[in-house]
Amino acid sequence: MMNKTSLIALLLLVFAGFYPLFVDSAWLAVGTTFLVFACVAFSQDIILGRAGVFHMGHAMFFGLGAYTTAILNVQFGWAILATWIPSVLIPMACAFALVAPIIHLRGDYLLVATIGFNIIFIQVLENDVFGLTGGPNGLFGIDVVRVFGYDFSSQIHMYYMAFILLGITLFIMRSLDRSKFGRAMFYIHKDDIAAQSMGISLRYYKLYAFILGAGIAGAAGSMFSVQYSAVSPEAFNVTQSIMFFTIVLVGGSASLPGVLIGTFVMFVLPEMFREFETARYLVFGVAMILTMILRPRGIWPVKFGNIPSFLKKEAK
Amino acid sequence: MSEYLLEIRNVSKLFSGLVAIDNLSMKVKKGQIYGIIGPNGAGKTTLFNCITGIYTPEIGQILWKGRDIKGTSPYKIAGLGILRTFQTIRLFSEMSVAENIMSGRHIKSKQRWYNGIIPTPAYFKDEKHQWTKVGELMEFFNLSSYATTPAGDLSYGIQRRIEMARALAAEPELLILDEPAAGLNENETIELTETIRKIQAMGVTIMMIEHDMEMVMSLSEYITVINFGAKISEGVPSFVQTDPKVVEAYIGSDEEDEDA
Amino acid sequence: MDIFLQQMVNGLTIGSLYALVALGYTMVYGVMRLINFAHGDLVAFSAFVGLSVYGSLFSEGTTSLLAVVSVFLLSALVVAFVGVLLERLAYRPLRTAPRLSAVVSALGAGLVIQNSVMLIWGPNMKIFPTDFFPSTLWSVGGIVITFTQVMILSFSSVLMVGLYFFINQTKIGTAIRAVAIDQDAAKLMGINVNRIVMIIFIIGSALGAVAGLFIGAYYRGITFDMGWMYGLNAFVAAIMGGIGNIPGAMLGGLLLGLFNAMITGYISTQWAETFTFVLLIVILVFRPTGILGEKVAEKV
Repeated sequence: MMNKTSLIALLLLVFAGFYPLFVDSAWLAVGTTFLVFACVAFSQDIILGRAGVFHMGHAMFFGLGAYTTAILNVQFGWAILATWIPSVLIPMACAFALVAPIIHLRGDYLLVATIGFNIIFIQVLENDVFGLTGGPNGLFGIDVVRVFGYDFSSQIHMYYMAFILLGITLFIMRSLDRSKFGRAMFYIHKDDIAAQSMGISLRYYKLYAFILGAGIAGAAGSMFSVQYSAVSPEAFNVTQSIMFFTIVLVGGSASLPGVLIGTFVMFVLPEMFREFETARYLVFGVAMILTMILRPRGIWPVKFGNIPSFLKKEAK
Repeated sequence: MSEYLLEIRNVSKLFSGLVAIDNLSMKVKKGQIYGIIGPNGAGKTTLFNCITGIYTPEIGQILWKGRDIKGTSPYKIAGLGILRTFQTIRLFSEMSVAENIMSGRHIKSKQRWYNGIIPTPAYFKDEKHQWTKVGELMEFFNLSSYATTPAGDLSYGIQRRIEMARALAAEPELLILDEPAAGLNENETIELTETIRKIQAMGVTIMMIEHDMEMVMSLSEYITVINFGAKISEGVPSFVQTDPKVVEAYIGSDEEDEDA
Repeated sequence: MDIFLQQMVNGLTIGSLYALVALGYTMVYGVMRLINFAHGDLVAFSAFVGLSVYGSLFSEGTTSLLAVVSVFLLSALVVAFVGVLLERLAYRPLRTAPRLSAVVSALGAGLVIQNSVMLIWGPNMKIFPTDFFPSTLWSVGGIVITFTQVMILSFSSVLMVGLYFFINQTKIGTAIRAVAIDQDAAKLMGINVNRIVMIIFIIGSALGAVAGLFIGAYYRGITFDMGWMYGLNAFVAAIMGGIGNIPGAMLGGLLLGLFNAMITGYISTQWAETFTFVLLIVILVFRPTGILGEKVAEKV
């Protein structure tokens, strides 16, 4: 006996699983990127939606992962598989180093600092620091995943790799929500003074959220760079950060279906309306305003009350 | 080892020149119910905020089991065994009652950092144990039927119970209650009095700010009276009730309401 | 020494522009705790409006006091009107909503304004007429200062001083400060909060409009998307000075302008943004609420 949400989830899973079989290559690429962006959006959600930290520089971590894979592969000849771990660890290390000194700042101040980090990151990329980053044009010719001589080079391979990555991300989100760490983030978000009086360290859990979010975004970045065989700075700028930020809020903070819907609305819909090139973003802006007015908590807001069933039995 | 769990020694707290607490001293015995009374604005909540690390007093010491904890971060205070409720009730109103109480179990949970990413057998055991404890607390406070209800949807009296359950969930040695009877009717106040006695019977020391005189006098074993941030009287309830200085402080200022 | 003084002049000029825009951000934030992300796009909008007003009312090559004054007045009016519309449609419905929802609405509004500009005036760069201001220059001991720069410096100073007095010495100014401190208390004192918010948007947008026109006159080339980066810099300036604080915004703007000019003059333009944000982060680490900002204590 399944409830409505689980049924929808199952249908979507089936649809997503068979998607590559009935679309053309352009839409397949869109689908793959949707999956990758959804991973990034979820990782942004950990920081913004759960821990409630105002963070508008997330594309930087995404880009760090992508560029790590690109640089290690193109400049140093590493195999793609070997770049996975660095592309997760380097964003995490950066998150720790950059955010730890400013984590105590009040919301809006922290927001601008995160934008600042993102901008500095882009400047580093564009100025071809140490000749590694390839300047404004980026790096191309990124290899594919190769296992025992077999090349996972087709678009369909890319799609399923991204699919698995999203699956892992969703698993992590679920583990997080059901652990003391995920709950601590909510408590901090909803009332940080009450949270502290319960023994929850603001600094520790906000940093935890950042580091975890950076790691997932880094993995997604690595995937992204392999999908397009190239990286360039404009894919990781503040405009992209704003997109991920908006995805979480428009879809529904801390809500699994919400973030997926948000990614669809903010990324796939504009793709669907590509023909209306010029008016596209105008309509988009209006849609953003209207969505917030009509659904201030997002299209599919989070629902609490996810407690073990032996406690629910007593409830009304 | 001192029999005094908490000692406030000559503590003063200033806010930009305004003296909120003035050379205050008191000693709380283990297992006691200790009352703090005084007119509104006397500095009682400020004192609690100093104990729980939200403010740092400029002068004096706050000794917990003999060690000075003045200026400790609020989140570390809970780890020491001191838990509190708030004058204005600070619940996580969007979250269910059970999840609210679960926040009290946070410092008791043994989950490791990787459990935020991946569950382990130890994690499953810990989760079950914590939720079981939450269930027991909800039973104790008669909240079981509200387990999944968002805390913000419930009445004031029930919210106060949730806040106490949450504080108790952390297994405190000292429970600090800031006007627990505020906004409660007579029946609820009687229930609250019994609950506080039961908590004391569990071995918890209790410090309480209250305006409901009947309740404070019947529950407290020892009382300190504060006005303008300074101690104007202290002693057992029967003494404090008749101390002319106390009477003057209350009659001299605005008339006290029946139930705060 | 010459380069230093020259950059001082340039820096103060740019700084005055940043200050004018920063004031718009800080006033809205002070009252509504909202980062008006659409403000930068309004500034860009005003440059285009000014260009069109000039083009339709005056023939090519007209440089007269009348031309300049009418362009400024008309543009300020149009932009102030759009600003009020912005508040009414995108922000007022979200007064009681979670803060971040209003931020998304602001971002959306910015997109709308920016793309409207693109649809109306096209995606290409437009050039401000050379004769908008006389092209006179003065050379003072090796330092060059243009007529435009003098206009910017003097006019901005007048506006800023005027605003300062307005906020601190008039009844409406006091009402604005009251609403910024506590909206509910202000309402209880009989202050019409909606009207105050409208006034703030009029003033902020008008200041932004003046800045936009000066930007057009100073840099000559204007594009529909220049508002975003400019607005962000101005917002950073407001934060540096202490967001919500009017003298803070002025200080922050001037500071940022000077800093920018020095970096561009002595180091490079390629890393200008990096230096700006490093400066910001350093300031925030040592003064978490900005240079003139005050810590707001929460009652527990």
